[in-house]
Amino acid sequence: MSRADAVASAPPAAVPAGRRPRFGAFARRSPLGAVGALVMLVVMVAGLAAPLVATYDPTRTDAAQTFVPPGPRHWLGTDHLGRDIYSRLVHGARVSLAVGVACALLGGIGGGAVGLISGLAGRRLDAVVQPVLDIMQGFPLLVLALVMTAALGPSIGTVVVAISVPFIPRVARVVRAVALGVRETTYVEAARALGAGGLRVALRHVFPNTVAPLVIMTTAQLGSAILVEASLSFLGLGIPEPYPSWGRMLSVSATEFAQRAPWLVVFPGLAISLVVFASNLFGDGLRDYLDPRLRF
Amino acid sequence: MRAFVFRRLGLATVTLVGMSIAIFVLLRLAPGSIVDLLFSAAGYVNPVEKQRITHELLLDRPIVVQYIQWAGALLHGDLGKSYRYDVAAARLIGPRVPVTVELAVMGMAVALLVGLPTGIISATRQNTALDYGLRIFSLAGLSMPAFWLGMLIILFLVRVAGWIPPMLYVPVRENLGLHVLQFLFPALAVGYRSAALINRMTRSSMLEVLREDYVRTGRAKGLAGRVVVYRHALRNALLPIVTVVGTEFAFLIGGLVVTETVFNLPGVARFLVDAILWRDYPVVQNLVMLIAIVVVLSNLAVDLLYARLDPRVRYT
Amino acid sequence: MTHHASLRWIVCAALTGILAASSAWAAVPAPKHGGVLNAMHREDPPSLSIIEEATISVNWGVMPCYNNLVIFDPAKPQETPQSIIGDLAEKWDWRDAGKTLAFTLRRGVRWHDGRPFSSADVKYTFDLIRETPGMTARLRLNPRKLWYANVQSVDTPDPATVLFRLKRPQPSLVMLLASGYSPIYPAHVPPAELRTRCVGTGPFKLKEYRPGELIEFVRNPDYFIKGRPYLDGIRFIIIKERGTRVAALQAGRLDIMMPQEGTRPAAEQLKKAVPSMLVTVTSQNINDNMLVNFKRPPFTDPRVRRALSLAIDRQAYAQAVRQGAAIAGASLLPRPWGLWGLGPSALAGLPGTGNAAAQKTEARRLLAEAGFGPGKSLRLVVSTRAIALYVDMATFVIDQFKQIGVDATLEQVESAQWYAKLTRGDYQMGANLTGIGADDPDAAFYENYACGSERNYSQYCNPEVDRLIDAQSQELNPQKRAVIVADIQRRLEIDGARPILGWDLDYFAMWPYVHGFVPHNSVYSEARLQDVWLSR
Repeated sequence: MSRADAVASAPPAAVPAGRRPRFGAFARRSPLGAVGALVMLVVMVAGLAAPLVATYDPTRTDAAQTFVPPGPRHWLGTDHLGRDIYSRLVHGARVSLAVGVACALLGGIGGGAVGLISGLAGRRLDAVVQPVLDIMQGFPLLVLALVMTAALGPSIGTVVVAISVPFIPRVARVVRAVALGVRETTYVEAARALGAGGLRVALRHVFPNTVAPLVIMTTAQLGSAILVEASLSFLGLGIPEPYPSWGRMLSVSATEFAQRAPWLVVFPGLAISLVVFASNLFGDGLRDYLDPRLRF
Repeated sequence: MRAFVFRRLGLATVTLVGMSIAIFVLLRLAPGSIVDLLFSAAGYVNPVEKQRITHELLLDRPIVVQYIQWAGALLHGDLGKSYRYDVAAARLIGPRVPVTVELAVMGMAVALLVGLPTGIISATRQNTALDYGLRIFSLAGLSMPAFWLGMLIILFLVRVAGWIPPMLYVPVRENLGLHVLQFLFPALAVGYRSAALINRMTRSSMLEVLREDYVRTGRAKGLAGRVVVYRHALRNALLPIVTVVGTEFAFLIGGLVVTETVFNLPGVARFLVDAILWRDYPVVQNLVMLIAIVVVLSNLAVDLLYARLDPRVRYT
Repeated sequence: MTHHASLRWIVCAALTGILAASSAWAAVPAPKHGGVLNAMHREDPPSLSIIEEATISVNWGVMPCYNNLVIFDPAKPQETPQSIIGDLAEKWDWRDAGKTLAFTLRRGVRWHDGRPFSSADVKYTFDLIRETPGMTARLRLNPRKLWYANVQSVDTPDPATVLFRLKRPQPSLVMLLASGYSPIYPAHVPPAELRTRCVGTGPFKLKEYRPGELIEFVRNPDYFIKGRPYLDGIRFIIIKERGTRVAALQAGRLDIMMPQEGTRPAAEQLKKAVPSMLVTVTSQNINDNMLVNFKRPPFTDPRVRRALSLAIDRQAYAQAVRQGAAIAGASLLPRPWGLWGLGPSALAGLPGTGNAAAQKTEARRLLAEAGFGPGKSLRLVVSTRAIALYVDMATFVIDQFKQIGVDATLEQVESAQWYAKLTRGDYQMGANLTGIGADDPDAAFYENYACGSERNYSQYCNPEVDRLIDAQSQELNPQKRAVIVADIQRRLEIDGARPILGWDLDYFAMWPYVHGFVPHNSVYSEARLQDVWLSR
């Protein structure tokens, strides 16, 4: 049995029945987590309302307004093509967050499903699935994403798939460990004894117990996905223009003009760091709130 | 125990074979080939020449035959020839490995030096301002793109000091001080993220151990607080930390790719990315396998270590 | 910054450059021997074989190893027929009414491996490029075969004489031979080997090539010019990240920039940080252009092509995408940098250079005429390489199209597929860079605009223009030739063969202790470095 099992080998804390998560209780328990949640909410709303919040068209170039420093007309300055950085950041929030959320969900659902199946379906299937997961996990995340974007061509879809596929084994391992743990507990055995079918056991008893770790891991991945997208962009394989993802804003020509116009580099970098920071805070808070025993 | 080791070894072998197939197929799914790239510098594509080169590089053979040839050569330690540079792949990869290993090790050292103490402090001073400050500091490390941090370091250095680390690799025997400096800054950029992870892991596992009975017993028996923390709590908390250090390696590679680029270090990580873009199959395949072997072995080592250190783990 | 201000900047900088060069010449500090030059390099050259490649990354990094027959005088910033000096050739002259070019070679020259150099090597080199029947040696890539299509034969009556016999007169041949792309290869080394090592006659010998890191040369003690080179060696240090490259120059890790890498913001910032840094403004002989696929509707309609060309404001382009470091022009390097390009007055009537608003209105009208308007907007895809500069170009162009109601989207293509895609004709429009090996009509026209040329990506084909290209090529009277060349340029722009967005300027920076390097108006022929010395 591998370490992943060991980490969760103690019976998992089952979600107490009847307790519905409430934000107030969450905020009291974990004020930092609440701050993180709020920041993410603000950025998400800003992204969704981008056309209203933005002051300029994010793709409009303006030869007369290049390298304008931050000021009243352009709050965060303009880039080398005269595009407004603030408006691009707001529109970029859409792209970066969408990628983050999509990757986290894809990875979470995929990993959750694989983990549940492999934890519950018995040894034979598990013996097939585990090496496959090992293979996937052995690849360095960024390298796998790189090869995949190279293979599939750069586009939003490709980037999302390339980033989320490597997440699957990480999630699957944790979920599988939880499922294995739950399977051994007495109340599941009791349910079995009462004649409940496999699927019913999975849905009624095992699945609810995996929700907490799933939510926590998914939140953590949101941040990682944004960071990986940024790294891919830096290496020239991220989400292509004209979608102004934050990673792209930070990489294409920004590095070259970093000394001439530091705001080109500072603001997108800060935006990425802030959102990932917030998602980490939120994830930590969730972990404290939902399941303090888990750690990964 | 022996059966456990054999089983794990078997699994590792299966993993490696699977990985070799995966990388082989993925690479060939990528549109464009080295032949197109060779033409790209000349600005045109000549179909007849293209076919000739494709044939020369044996790229027109069935994919299964290509795989068997590659895998067979690899088993004999033959890494083949780089398409891009027309020299033995081993000659290209060989000198780059120590650079990346050194950067990884130094990054890890930075991570441990920063992560462990701050984690312990955070745990022993739980919920104080110091704890909050350290946690925010460590979370920041997890939140910054590594290349951004590297870029800021370079910008800062050149602006303030008018100095940046050497752009050419400085061997140890040439100038030890400069060599260390050359690796120190990128190691900071790489290590910060891992430091943050180790800090979190240390904090949470220390907290858990501190709550356990035997620690309380120790305290009750009148052992001084410091002794309890270092003799008992830390030792037991080390286990999960070892895990993080072990599994962080695969993550670390990603950070190394961009950091090597920013600091112009001639390591394998950056080289691998270029090789992917160049469709230099022999280099990519063999490098990925090399990384895979390291990752699989380090996973295996962690598992074995775990099994040794923690009697609760069942060998099945 | 306004257009005039930027022009003034350019002229001032050019003047100071010339002044600096001439005053340095007036002061005549005695050149010093010794020292190693650390030169910037942006990437691994695709190979070390100059003849087989077509990128500055090879010339800058390998030229010090070789010699041409003739070369553009390294000390003169503008490359002209008059600035050509002998390299391996001592003297040359035209015979048979311009149908034979005769070279007398230097004697006693040796290859780096000690073998003697002779006229046989020259014949071998050009037979290799011309793919003369019977040659056993072959080039893998042969991008400049077209340059010598007019050569009937290369004859060697004796070891010190070479005769180029032509099918028809071609005064430009000397210009082509003087390009950095025309080194002489050793007949005794298989060309495949020259991709990974170099055996030349040049001032420097290859010491080591460490891919991704360094190309290192050492002084050739037996160089045929006594007392040269001054340097003990050259290190081309490969730095792939742009921001790091500039930081390395600023921090003194590099002594000299790489041609084509000098952007204006970088130069201004370097100058601010290190006031003594020498910045020379010059042209690159590289233009930014749009490829239009002539085989695909709606680009088969000349009105659509013209509308799209009109839509792109060239002045705004230079300002935004090149930060002011580009000048408008047609298909040849504009004056004062080049010899042949159309001047401002000739350009005034061509698409993209007049009043931007009026041109956009005209573009909308033409599109409406062709059947595209508010109800049915023209949709198209602009493809480009996944390289920062290319993406910037395409982004700007797409935004310009948007302003005339054209709905364009960007497609980024990895380098691995770019030229294959162009050659297949699998694109609508492309944002592209074209470098010309020498400032010469023959070098530019045949490659990029003649029917059927492999690098004529837009597959533009106009028999009348082809006829004019041949006519100017064999015209011996320079004035008459200039008239035809101007006519060709106008036709190409009106046809929208490959709309030129701008000719790029290079803000070349080096430390003041580097002497004897004069940036040329074309980046491809200045990298011999035999006269460079250091006063560090």
